[in-house]
Amino acid sequence: MEHLIVHLKKELKRHFFDYSLLITAGIFFLVAINAFRGERFLEFTILLAFASFYIIWGVYHHLIDNSLHLRNVLEYILIGFTILFLLKIIIIP
Amino acid sequence: MNKVLGFFRHLFIPTETNNYRAKSLHTDFLAIYLIIAFFMSVVFKKVGLSNVLGFATDISATKLFQLTNQQREKDGLSDLKYNDKLACAAYQKAQDMFNKNYWAHFAPDGKTPWDFILNCGYNYEYAGENLAKNFLFSDGVVGAWMNSPSHRDNILKSNYTDVGFAVVNGVLNGEQTTLVVQMFGKPLTSPIAQQPKSSPPALVFNQEVKAAEQTPQSANLPVPINKTTNQQLVTANSAPKNAFSLPAITFDVNFIFFSFLLLALVLDFYFAARFHIVRISGKNLAHFIFIFFIIAGLLIIARGAII
Repeated sequence: MEHLIVHLKKELKRHFFDYSLLITAGIFFLVAINAFRGERFLEFTILLAFASFYIIWGVYHHLIDNSLHLRNVLEYILIGFTILFLLKIIIIP
Repeated sequence: MNKVLGFFRHLFIPTETNNYRAKSLHTDFLAIYLIIAFFMSVVFKKVGLSNVLGFATDISATKLFQLTNQQREKDGLSDLKYNDKLACAAYQKAQDMFNKNYWAHFAPDGKTPWDFILNCGYNYEYAGENLAKNFLFSDGVVGAWMNSPSHRDNILKSNYTDVGFAVVNGVLNGEQTTLVVQMFGKPLTSPIAQQPKSSPPALVFNQEVKAAEQTPQSANLPVPINKTTNQQLVTANSAPKNAFSLPAITFDVNFIFFSFLLLALVLDFYFAARFHIVRISGKNLAHFIFIFFIIAGLLIIARGAII
């Protein structure tokens, strides 16, 4: 567990701005989805925007980290779109 | 046993066999998840188009009726009786909202909630209405009403003796919507009270308690319910018992998938940190943050809206 905490701290310290950006976007996502609760199309649009931001964030983060690779980009796209499709079933059945 | 352990190790722990990245997080596995999610969305959409009752949500009038009375019992109040005339009024109100494309207690043409009650032949002394839309579960609807002081007052009002529900799916503002209408009432009983002009009936509309602005007309016979192809009515008497609950399944599938993905990310993250593995891959911490917000969003989405 110690390794994990040390690694987490190191990672957050190294990329403080990047993770702050992602968390801020996440908070905006929750606020927006709460504000438009019950409006299915808007809920899905907000979800789509957050998933797109997450993919762009991934590309940006790896670009400035000098670790951009097609496999990384694919990973963000696959996770983002899988979650998008799963939630679409609930939001727009 | 060793084979099973080896399989799980290969699936979740970064080792030499999986190129130091949990196999469950490899792009080929992630692609499989995406295909499954896409397949599910298409299949469920097709099932939804075949009008399986209660596809959009897992809300039933029976459950709403039980939960409402449970809340009243907790407060030491008598149980409400299910009234078909109020259920008819609730259905007509929901259908009116779909037909005239509005989401409010009062229709754009000035029609009031008590017009529907009277049209269905229920002469009331007290009446009230609660509305909800796009909730996933019955518990969520009653929970949200109980958290809102005005709706809570309606549920826990001792003046009411009867209740009726309608859970109707349809298209509102161009989107598939599930409306829940709850109508409360107490019938006119005393001979004096049955003369509306001398004693105007009171309407309890969320928090506001006010006399009806118009004198109720003589009660019409219940209007027959016309079912349209994109709208479904579920009343407490007709709600299917132990019905196949697709929304509950999709909700559970989502949670199982997110839990599996989180488990894979946490284990991979932990062991990669422990073994000081340096590799080219996506950031688990970022995935973890993203999924955390998605789960929180999912819980908000399940709550729907009330007025």
